[in-house]
Amino acid sequence: MTPRTETPPATFTPGRTRPSARGFLGWVMAPQRRGPLLIAPAIATLVVVNIFPLMWSYGLSFFHYNAKRIAVPPHWRGFGNYVDLLSDSDVWGRFQNTAVIVIGSVAVQLVVGFLLALLFSREFPLRRYLLMLVLAPMMLSLSAVGVFFKLFYEPTLGFIPRLVQEFTGQPFVILDTPVKANVAIICADAWMWSPFVMLLVLAGLVSVPKYLYEAAEIDRASAWRRFRTITFPYIRSLLLLALLFRTIETFKIFDVPYVLTEGGPGTSTETISVYLFRVAFNYFQTGRASALGYIVLFGVIVLTSLYLYAIQVRRETEGPSR
Amino acid sequence: MKRLQMGFTALATAAGVVLAGLGTPAPAAAKDIVINMAAPDWLPTRFMQDEFNRTYKAKSGNNVKLVIDFIPWPSYYQRVAASLSSGEKKYQMLVTDSQWLGDFVEGGHYLKLNKYIDKDPELKAMLDDMHQVIKDTSSSYPYKSNNYYGFPQFPDNLVTYYRKDLFCNDRERDAFKAKYHKTLPCYYAEWQNVDWDTWGDIGEFFHRKKGDKLGDGVADDDFYGIAFQAGKGYDFSSMQINSLIWEAGGDIWDETSTKPAAGVVNSPIAVKALERYLDLLKWAPPVAKTGQMDIFVIQDLYMQGKVAAIVDWVGLAGPVIDPKVSKVADKSWFAQPPGWRKPDGSINRFMNIGGQPFVLTTWNSPEVVHEALEIVKWWLSKPVQINFVKHGGESGMLSVLQDPEYLTWAPWTRAFSDNYQWQKDIWHIPEFFPMLTQQQEQFDKAITGQISAKQALDAVAAFQDKLLKEDGRIK
Repeated sequence: MTPRTETPPATFTPGRTRPSARGFLGWVMAPQRRGPLLIAPAIATLVVVNIFPLMWSYGLSFFHYNAKRIAVPPHWRGFGNYVDLLSDSDVWGRFQNTAVIVIGSVAVQLVVGFLLALLFSREFPLRRYLLMLVLAPMMLSLSAVGVFFKLFYEPTLGFIPRLVQEFTGQPFVILDTPVKANVAIICADAWMWSPFVMLLVLAGLVSVPKYLYEAAEIDRASAWRRFRTITFPYIRSLLLLALLFRTIETFKIFDVPYVLTEGGPGTSTETISVYLFRVAFNYFQTGRASALGYIVLFGVIVLTSLYLYAIQVRRETEGPSR
Repeated sequence: MKRLQMGFTALATAAGVVLAGLGTPAPAAAKDIVINMAAPDWLPTRFMQDEFNRTYKAKSGNNVKLVIDFIPWPSYYQRVAASLSSGEKKYQMLVTDSQWLGDFVEGGHYLKLNKYIDKDPELKAMLDDMHQVIKDTSSSYPYKSNNYYGFPQFPDNLVTYYRKDLFCNDRERDAFKAKYHKTLPCYYAEWQNVDWDTWGDIGEFFHRKKGDKLGDGVADDDFYGIAFQAGKGYDFSSMQINSLIWEAGGDIWDETSTKPAAGVVNSPIAVKALERYLDLLKWAPPVAKTGQMDIFVIQDLYMQGKVAAIVDWVGLAGPVIDPKVSKVADKSWFAQPPGWRKPDGSINRFMNIGGQPFVLTTWNSPEVVHEALEIVKWWLSKPVQINFVKHGGESGMLSVLQDPEYLTWAPWTRAFSDNYQWQKDIWHIPEFFPMLTQQQEQFDKAITGQISAKQALDAVAAFQDKLLKEDGRIK
């Protein structure tokens, strides 16, 4: 009979794993599971605050449902909400309002942002401080910008109408017609986001090798030629990114028109996001609002796909070095 | 001997203390009870919080704390609706606009108070002391029923704020008389004869350019005669337009009937009233053209000395007479708002009632309900109500309104109490907010000149009929 070997009682030795930690905790903390474990809280949060509401609202979009009437069960409508929305002239009107603001605002942002980038790509006194000042609007809250501009535009006490009145002698009302109200929103949005475009373009401008300009100077190339053949190729893809990124963001614009004009005069500046808010929280048509939310989401996905496609094209055309 | 006497005294004192302790039943441990109340952020609710913190002591011995969540007016409904419908059960009490009663009663959020009132003679006496108009509009649902849900936190109505330095200026009065063959109203009685035509004349008369003579001086900026609600947000334009429609003899959709809105809402009388309202806007400050002339904007323009007279809520009058924030604090008087002159020469002065009741929510424990009702009783007690009136508030209690000194407590009290006979209210049904939102949108289009009065009211009537039919409220 082989003598039985007694296993000595487990004792803790510094530098060794405690035997008790070899149980469940040890299994969980195994190196191959540490990665998933560390991202688990983030995933859980994402599921609770994002994925679940997204799925829930997707379900609701097929029902006639009012969130204020919890006791009344949802009534199945199938694609009824989607069909109603897509055949509703009010909805298309709000999409048109959004398109006007998107086109106007993004165009202004690109032009102003580009010009600012050209300005700040050169050295001049106080450049650093002015750059910080120009970037400041981008850091502000969207609602705060809406309030600022509402005060700026106020016809009796506002800064801009007072300034105009000094020259014309007549009261100047900015938000009284659909055209002027749209221009007012475009100005406010462009004021806030042009610095973002400037930052992107500036990154392109500073990456242009100096020797290219020196060579062009030796060749006596005109300023326009230098811009067209040297500068623009470097910033073209960044401008495209700025265009797509700002288009996606402006497509969702809510705060500025909501605070500045409340969608008025009438509904002329009511963007699709403001309309969505009204359907959800004024009319309390929760099912319809969910469906509209998904239609807007579809629009954003299309734009985002374009954005990703542009990045891909940029990678392919410019190679990994730049 | 002296030592013995001292010993007896000490013993007697100790015995007294022990006996006193035995004689009084030991109080149950005082509980900490926090009552969270949602309320719009303005003077009447700020005063309530300050007064509560300063003076309130619960009779039960509990440590009761009232924590008011002050929410800006323009987003108040959405915030409350979102809280209630999400089921978060955050609030034990709410200050609610009267028109929300149906919405949240049928949603199961507001506590019906009849059984508590029936059991409590003090509450019953307070209900009996409430002005009938307040009971009908702010406390009961369905409208004018005997199902009570709220007590008045702050009853409100529309009054005219005007510049006495201008309206009582002899030179201005003579000039007005010469131009319009009418008296420029200065005293309260003279304002009672002001109809919307005269209001328009006042608007035209006081419209001055910078540098023109104004009163005893010169206008240091462009100056405007009149301002009144014309804002797209919440209920701002509807509150003023409803007044004109009722005064002209028209009506809004009647929630107590099953008849459609078409033919009533867009009747020729209603169209005429809306046209009159739109016509008056030409004498208002330029912000009127933007559809953003809401109650706060007109209050601000008046306090900045840019307008001669405005029609606004009493709830916003407090800051107007505060010299720290108002340039016209010592120049302002108050009167009843203009009305619609009838063929017999008398004036219809109907208006949409303002103000808010406060209600209890249905998820409160009996203990919280008890303490909340104690707060209601404290707030409606005469001394607190009088103090409230003296500090910019108002009262819906007859015992306060009929107090011989009531008229001396605030400069607007006379206009406020005289207005009671003219109060009507907008719908209280759950569909009120979609109806209000769509109506505000159409009125805004008319105010900004995009559509006519008739087109606006036709669109309102069509929308209301569709919605009310879908919900089975009309045939």
